[in-house]
Amino acid sequence: MSDMDKIKYNLLLVGGSSSNLALAHRLIALAKASGQQLSIAILEKGREFGSHIVSGAVSNPHVIKKLFPDYMENGFPIEGVCTESFFSVMGAYKKWDAPRNLMPAEFKKEGYLILTLSNVIGWMANRLKEEVKDIPNVTIDFFPGFSAHEVIYDGSRVMGVRVSHTENPMDDYIYADVTVFGDKGFLSQDVLKNFDLRKNAQLWSVGVKELWEIPQDLSNKVWHTMGYPVLDGTFGGGFVYGMKNNRLTIGLILSLDSPNPDINPQQRLQDFKKHPWIQSLIQEGRLIKYGAALLPEGGYYSLPEKFAVDGAIIVGDALGTLNQRTLSGVDMAMECGYQAAEVLIEAFRDGDYSQAKLNQFQKRLNNTFVIKDLYESRYFRQAFNENPRLLNSYLPTVAKAVDDGNPMVGMLKVGLSNPFRAPFDGLRVLSLFSGTKDIGPVRYKKCHEHIQPDFQAPAMQNGQPFNKDTIYSREDAVFYANTRYHEGNMHIDEFEATTCMRCISRYSDQGKLPPCVNDCTAEVHRVDEIDNVRKHGMSLENCIQCRTCEIVCPEENLRVNPTAQGSGPDFAGL
Amino acid sequence: MSGSLNILVLIKQVPDTSSKAGLNPDGTIDRAKAKRMLNPFDRFALQAALHSKKVTNGKVTALSMGPPPAVEILLEAIEHGVDKGFLLSDRRLAASDTLATAYALHKVIQHLGPFDLIFTGLQTTDGDTAQVGPQIAERLNLPQVTYCEDFSIEGGKLHARRIVEGGHQTVVSEFPALVTVANAYHHLEYKTIRGARLVQELQRNEELKAQYIQTITLDDVGADPELCGLKGSPTIVAHTDKVGQIGGRCVMHQGKSIEMLVNEIAAGTNIKEFVRQ
Ligand SMILES: Cc1cc2nc3c(=O)[nH]c(=O)nc-3n(C[C@H](O)[C@H](O)[C@H](O)COP(=O)(O)OP(=O)(O)OC[C@H]3O[C@@H](n4cnc5c(N)ncnc54)[C@H](O)[C@@H]3O)c2cc1C
Ligand code: SF4
Ligand code: SF4
Repeated sequence: MSDMDKIKYNLLLVGGSSSNLALAHRLIALAKASGQQLSIAILEKGREFGSHIVSGAVSNPHVIKKLFPDYMENGFPIEGVCTESFFSVMGAYKKWDAPRNLMPAEFKKEGYLILTLSNVIGWMANRLKEEVKDIPNVTIDFFPGFSAHEVIYDGSRVMGVRVSHTENPMDDYIYADVTVFGDKGFLSQDVLKNFDLRKNAQLWSVGVKELWEIPQDLSNKVWHTMGYPVLDGTFGGGFVYGMKNNRLTIGLILSLDSPNPDINPQQRLQDFKKHPWIQSLIQEGRLIKYGAALLPEGGYYSLPEKFAVDGAIIVGDALGTLNQRTLSGVDMAMECGYQAAEVLIEAFRDGDYSQAKLNQFQKRLNNTFVIKDLYESRYFRQAFNENPRLLNSYLPTVAKAVDDGNPMVGMLKVGLSNPFRAPFDGLRVLSLFSGTKDIGPVRYKKCHEHIQPDFQAPAMQNGQPFNKDTIYSREDAVFYANTRYHEGNMHIDEFEATTCMRCISRYSDQGKLPPCVNDCTAEVHRVDEIDNVRKHGMSLENCIQCRTCEIVCPEENLRVNPTAQGSGPDFAGL
Repeated sequence: MSGSLNILVLIKQVPDTSSKAGLNPDGTIDRAKAKRMLNPFDRFALQAALHSKKVTNGKVTALSMGPPPAVEILLEAIEHGVDKGFLLSDRRLAASDTLATAYALHKVIQHLGPFDLIFTGLQTTDGDTAQVGPQIAERLNLPQVTYCEDFSIEGGKLHARRIVEGGHQTVVSEFPALVTVANAYHHLEYKTIRGARLVQELQRNEELKAQYIQTITLDDVGADPELCGLKGSPTIVAHTDKVGQIGGRCVMHQGKSIEMLVNEIAAGTNIKEFVRQ
C-alpha cells in the first residue's frame, strides 16, 4: 500500500464525545492563532453526533464558560439553571428532603446547568463545522455512523484504527499522527491493556434514565436521592431533574460492584417510579425516551499510570475522570479535551508524537481541578466498600424511619443499635469522603468479582399504589430507545459457549438467571433451552450498547463491540 | 472475466416519505419545503451499479434529473463509491411526465455515453409508474432487463434473473443493456470512509467538486425543449383524491406498551370477528 492511498490525518478523534469535541474546539482556535496546518477526523459510532449519548446531566458551567464564553447567548442548548436542589432519602412510601445544613455540599447544585447532553454534543459538532470554515489552515472531516473497531499498532506506537471490513482493505483503515480516544472505553480498553497502564481495576456503574413529559413545570429543580429502591447493599441512587417545556429526567445510577447478581437496572428504575412521590409527578405524563450508559466510578485509584502512549492520548470517561462523589463527568471530560488541545498544538508544531511529548497531558491535568477533585474524593468508594453496613444496614434503617415519619430518629437508631461502631463508622466515613484521612492507595476488585450467586436480596417493599400505565417492561422500554440495526449485525462477542452453559447451570442451581440476563438494560440476553440443554442466546437488535453485560459477566465471556453503520439506539434528546 | 465496464446509474431525489414536512393540507406535496431523500428504489440500482463496478473493475457514473438540490443525492452516491455525477437541471423540464423525462434523459445518455450497462430503479416513490427505465431503453434501442432481482457478469454477458408473475426468468443479454433493478436485489452497502471523506473535501473545494459533479442543461445535450416539461408531456392529471377522505373505518391503536395495546384492542374490537372458529 503506497502512502498516497492511505487515509491519513494529523489527528484522529475516536468518539464524538464531550471530551473530544471540546478538544477540537480548543485546538482549532489555537491553530487559527498559530497558523498550524491540521487535518482532523472525528469518528462517532452513532448515526448522528449525540445519538449514542446518555447523561444526566447537571453540570458546573465553569469549563463550558471557558470554551464558549458566550454560551448563554449563542444557542448552546440548556434545559435550565438549577435554582433549587435537594438531597432526599427515600423510604418505600415517603421521601425526606435533608435540611440544608445536613445536606452534603456536593449535592448543592444551585447555579449549575441542567443539560441534555445528546443535544449539547449535536450542537458542539455543528458549531465546529461553522468555526472551521473560517480557518483555512484546518480541515475537519466528520464521520457520524463510523466506529473505530480495532487499534492499529506499529511496535509500541498507535498508528490509527480500523473502521470497516470491506473487500478493499485500503478503505478500511484511518491513520493519524495522533489518535485521541474519548470513547468511554469501548476500544481504548485495548490500549490500556496492551500497554498494561491500568494497574488497578476500574469500577463501573450503570445509569438508566427516562425522559418524561409532565403536566407541571418543575424546571430548574434538582433532586438526588438515596434509599428506596436501592436497599440491597448496592451503591447507587436516583436523580430527578426538572427541565424546560414540562420535561422531567428520572434516572438511577447503580454500581456494578454489587453482590447482587440481579440488579436489573431498568426494572429497578420502574420500582423507583412506583414511589408515591415520583408517581405524583408522572401520573398524567408521557414517556418520551429511555436509555442507559456506563459511568466509570473508580476515580483516582483507577486512573491509568500514564494518560498517553506513542501516538495516542486517552481522555474523559475512557481515562476515568468522572467524580462519583459529585456526579460530575461532563466538565471533567471537557477539561480533559481542553488540556489535551494545549499539548497537541505543541506536538504538531514540533512534529513530536512520542509518549514523552503527549504525556505532558497528564502533567497538565494533574494541575487542574480534574485530578485535584479526584484526589480529594479518592476514598469515596472505598468508604462504602470497606464498610458494607453503610448500605445494607444503616441506609435501610434510615429509609424505614423516613416511612415512619421520623428520619432523625432513624439516624439516632443507627447510632444506638451499634453504640460503639456507628459513631466510629460515621467519623471514618466523613474523613474518607473528604479525603482528610490518608489510608494509602486502595485496590479494587473487578466488578464481577463482587457478585455472589447465592446472594439473598432483602424483600423490596412494593405495596404502593401506582398507575400501571407509567411502568414499562424491559421489552417495552427498548421501543423507547429507538434501536435500529443493519442486516447481519453481530456486535457482541460471546467467547465460549460452554463457559456460558456452566455459568447458567451454576445460577440455575440457585434458582436464578445469570447476571447478563438479569442486568441487561434492554432485553438482549436470554437463556434458551435447546434439546434439554440450557444455552445463552442474544437478541442483538434490542441492544442499547451500555456495556453492562460485559462488566457483570462473571466469566469475562462477553465483549460489546461498537456497532457498525450507525446502528444502535437513538438517544437524541434524551 | 469481462473487461472494465462503463456503468451508468439513474437516480432521483424524492420527498422524504418519513417526514411530514412540506405536506399541504390537501395532501399534495410542497417540494420546496419537503425533506428530500434518495428514491428508496434507486438504492438497489446503485448497489447493482457498484457491484458491477467491483466485479469488472469498472467505473460508475450517476445521473439525476431534478432541481439544483438534487446534487445532494449525487454526493450521497459518491459516498457509496460512485466515481462521477451529472445533474440535468433545467427550468424547462418542470412538470415533465414519463415521456418527457425519458426523452430528456436519453439525450443526456447519448451525450455522455456510450455506456455498457445502465441501471435504473424499478420506480420512484413519488411517481410509481415504473415507465422511465423501459422508455429510455426503447429510445436508445437497447435490450432491457426489467424487474431484475439478481445478476452476474460472465463471459462478457449479463446473466440476469427477472421476477415474473409466479416465478423467475433467467435471461442473458449482450452489452450494452439497460436493467431496472427490483427491490429484491441486495441492499445498498454502507457508505465508505473514503467516499465520505471525498464528499467532505468536495464540499470545501468548489473546483474539485466541479470535477466530480457537473450540472448540465437541455442545451448542453442538444435536447429539444419543446419535447420536455409541460409541453412535452401528454399526461393529464384530471384530478386527485385524498385517500383519507374516501371513508372507511380505521382505528389507530397507539398503546404505550404491548400489554396496553392488547388490552386496548381487546376492549375496542370484537376479536371473535377476526378469529376463524
Ligand atoms: C445516566 C448518567 C447520568 C449522568 N449524569 C451526569 C451529571 O449529572 N453530571 C455530569 O457532569 N456527568 C454526568 N454523567 C457522566 C457524563 O455523562 C460523562 O462523564 C461524560 O459524558 C463523559 O464524556 P466522554 O467525553 O468521556 O464521553 P461521552 O460524552 O460519553 O462520549 C463517548 C462517545 O464516543 C462514542 N464512541 C464510543 N466508542 C466509539 C468507537 N469505537 N468509535 C466511534 N465512536 C465511539 C460514543 O458513541 C459516544 O458518542 C452521567 C452519566 C450517565 C450515564
Ligand atoms: S455471558 Fe457471562 S453471565 Fe451470561 S451466561 Fe455467559 S458466562 Fe454467564
Ligand atoms: S446487551 Fe449488554 S450492552 Fe446491550 S443493552 Fe444489554 S447490557 Fe447493554
